[in-house]
Amino acid sequence: MNIKLVLRVLAFLSIFLGIGMLLPLPFSYYYGSGDETALMESAAVCFAIGLFVFIPKDISKDFKTKDGFAIVTFGWIIMALLGSLPYLFSGSIPNFTNAIFETMSGFTTTGSTILTDIEALPKGILFWRSITHWLGGMGIIVLTIAILPFLGIAGMQLFKAESSGPFSEKLKPRITHTAKLLWTIYVVLTIAEVLLLMSGGMSFYDSINHAFATMATGGFSTKNASIVGQTAYIQYVLIAFMVLAGTNFSLHYYFVNGNWRVYFKSPEFRFYFFSILLASLLIFFNIYTQYNGAIELAFRDSLFQVVSLTTCTGFASADYELWSSTSQVILLLMMMGGGMAGSTAGGIKTVRLILLFKFTYNQFVKVLHPRAVVPLRIGSRYVDDKTVLDVLGFFMLYIVILASSVLLLTVFGLDFVSSIGAVVTAMSGVGPGLNLVGPMDNFSFLPDASKWLLSFLMLAGRLELLTVIILLSPNYWKK
Amino acid sequence: MEIIIIGAGDIGYQSARRFSKEKHNISLIESNEALANFASDTLDAFVITGNGCSSSVLKEAGVDKADVLAALTDNDEVNILACKIAKKHGVKTTIARVRNPEYLHEDHIISKEEFGVDYFLQPEKETADTIVRLIRQSNATDIIEFEGGKLKFFGLRLDSSSPLLHKKLMDLGIELNNPPLTVTAIKRGQHTIVPKGSDILLPGDQIYMVCAPYYQDTALEYLGKTKKAIENILIIGGGLTATFVAMELDGEINMKIIESDEKKALAIAEKLNKSLVIHGDGSNLDLLMSENLDSMDQFIAITGDDETNIITSIVAQHIGVKRTVSLIKKSEYLPLTPALNLDAVVSKQQITVNAITRLIKGDGIAKFAELPGLDAEIVEFVVKDKSKITRKPIMHLKIPKGAVLGAILRDEELIIPKGNTQIVAGDKVVVFSLPDSFPSVESLFE
Repeated sequence: MNIKLVLRVLAFLSIFLGIGMLLPLPFSYYYGSGDETALMESAAVCFAIGLFVFIPKDISKDFKTKDGFAIVTFGWIIMALLGSLPYLFSGSIPNFTNAIFETMSGFTTTGSTILTDIEALPKGILFWRSITHWLGGMGIIVLTIAILPFLGIAGMQLFKAESSGPFSEKLKPRITHTAKLLWTIYVVLTIAEVLLLMSGGMSFYDSINHAFATMATGGFSTKNASIVGQTAYIQYVLIAFMVLAGTNFSLHYYFVNGNWRVYFKSPEFRFYFFSILLASLLIFFNIYTQYNGAIELAFRDSLFQVVSLTTCTGFASADYELWSSTSQVILLLMMMGGGMAGSTAGGIKTVRLILLFKFTYNQFVKVLHPRAVVPLRIGSRYVDDKTVLDVLGFFMLYIVILASSVLLLTVFGLDFVSSIGAVVTAMSGVGPGLNLVGPMDNFSFLPDASKWLLSFLMLAGRLELLTVIILLSPNYWKK
Repeated sequence: MEIIIIGAGDIGYQSARRFSKEKHNISLIESNEALANFASDTLDAFVITGNGCSSSVLKEAGVDKADVLAALTDNDEVNILACKIAKKHGVKTTIARVRNPEYLHEDHIISKEEFGVDYFLQPEKETADTIVRLIRQSNATDIIEFEGGKLKFFGLRLDSSSPLLHKKLMDLGIELNNPPLTVTAIKRGQHTIVPKGSDILLPGDQIYMVCAPYYQDTALEYLGKTKKAIENILIIGGGLTATFVAMELDGEINMKIIESDEKKALAIAEKLNKSLVIHGDGSNLDLLMSENLDSMDQFIAITGDDETNIITSIVAQHIGVKRTVSLIKKSEYLPLTPALNLDAVVSKQQITVNAITRLIKGDGIAKFAELPGLDAEIVEFVVKDKSKITRKPIMHLKIPKGAVLGAILRDEELIIPKGNTQIVAGDKVVVFSLPDSFPSVESLFE
């Protein structure tokens, strides 16, 4: 492994984090929340580590494909360690395990929290909590690639290891340019959302926090009640931006470049969009009797919850635990499916689902016509066997991790339904689960072992399993 | 620059890799999925699987904004058609690789302009030309000609018989009355040394120098390299490159050509009057011996198989053939060739990439070359008006440590640069540079 290159990348990550920790300072001073020392101390630690590790000179660009997995995974672990400093230094979350859980939940854009009273946190720390979402959403490694041209071909391997989906699409010949473009789209959408939320009467501070949490499909709110009780306008704006954040960003790029029909031309987007509509309608018909004639509210709540959980954001506009089991199962399935590849959403990803369905369908054809030649296509694009096998392998890995983690959580003392909810929500990066860890609950009561397991699942889920799990394989470390 | 390359075979891949390193934006189109995947995994480039002369694929590759299109597949017609389409889309420079020399004839019914091709590249022909030069100048391992032969760059290995060994270069200059040559580099083992006046020459050194053509034989003699008459040569491999070589030398030298494919053997035999073509396996040592390998003056291994070329050349050198030329395709092998002690090595990929590099770099550069087994660039700059290098005499310029100004051509006249030489616009300057120093050299000529 090219240790110097790894260290150089990690040094940059620390420095970026340090800069990120200074961003909440204006809010700290404005609100007089008294957390500026904690933030500045944390930033100083990041800069010190960054500069210390930065020193190695004459870095060779020799880089093996497999090094990418280690850089990205260790990069994220270091981010979680350093990112928890503001919580620890300010005393907002004095417990180390809890601080790591909250940070990991932030960076992986999960949005599960161990906090019981969110509004009691100082404003600066609360803003840092949203920043962890925003940096983790598009990927801080992708940001590093965008800013550091020295990575070259190594950058591409890192990009693949951090970005989502079975195909890593390049929008531009150079990986640096692709990364820059993705971040630009991300920033522009975030700014647009802030403006729209503010025009709906939300304060600047809350708007920017919620915009960060939406665009990253994170789900941290600055309110204890999350989105419950916000105006219809605010909720519809959030719905729209959650859908955009769960859409493949390259479609946004093509759209801006004048290809107006690109969204509905994409079979993945159609699947994503119509499955959201279908699930919302099913839930709507299932629950509207509970709403005593408030039809619009029933529809809005169904749509909001489906969008929020499908895109793995995890905002709560209603307590879906009061709904029927049917509705809750639909929501659980949507959580597992997740958003589109190449977006900030989590889950299995639309494109993988389509491939799995088509593969299964083709198996039927092959049983009936053993000599049939049935190429697997998504739209007009032919998908080769290798990709299909990758997806099957991914799915198998997903099931194995899901099953064994549920087992472990029950061993640590959680009931069956809550365990399933907690594992799915962590792996998909959603936030709320079922039963004891539902939308109105939090994770603070869990034993430490469960919190560490869930933190690990969040990381593995965000990096699409293989990047993290492969490091556990002894083969990886063999020369 | 936005560059589209079609074909990710040896030549296309190496070109893409080189230009991607130089911060150009590369789109690479390849129809073979395995090659495309490999390129996409190892190059920082936009790789598209598809047909290079399909309009929609070219559009996806960004043909509307591209500055250069280089069509480098081994199919002439695909390359030409791709250039034609690219020209229609407004691409400034189009480059087509062709194997069939017919397309280049001046009286061809369709002109270059009508084809939409700005430059035709003939890797096989250019490789053959290099090989022919090496056959004729059998005492050098590398030869590059500048300005149609007005200036030459040589690489050669020093024998222990050279009278110049163990003396300082600056003393040699005085001893020989300032000869019209510059020693630009010494390769000793794995190190490339850019020499100063105080450096000395040792036996076994590979030295590289720029030299006036009238002085070349004298210079080579001083270096212990007398020119030997060539009577008999044996060539293995009868492909396109070999055909060009053989056609050039037919009747001038007594040649035997061994080719394993019967049809190819027949095809090459039809084109030659005085040379003997043998249908047989060139890697079969018994066959080589029965064709008197041991009494050949030169052995030229230009089959399509690197390993055959390398092994047979080593065998030939071992049994006493003074001169071997080996064609090597894999770029990974090139750095090893000095260690294998091969005499002269030619790389078709490198020659082609050099040619494209010159075309892409544009007007300021008249010739661009890299040599097998030497990590350095040899470039002929045409000095532009008001470029930095014309502002002061050479000794006051900041010339990087890894670079040497080899020679200057001013109005047909050769000048060996000294400290007080003042370069003026219109001069042609041959520069030798290590890769690290090259960007600063280029900026001197801006």
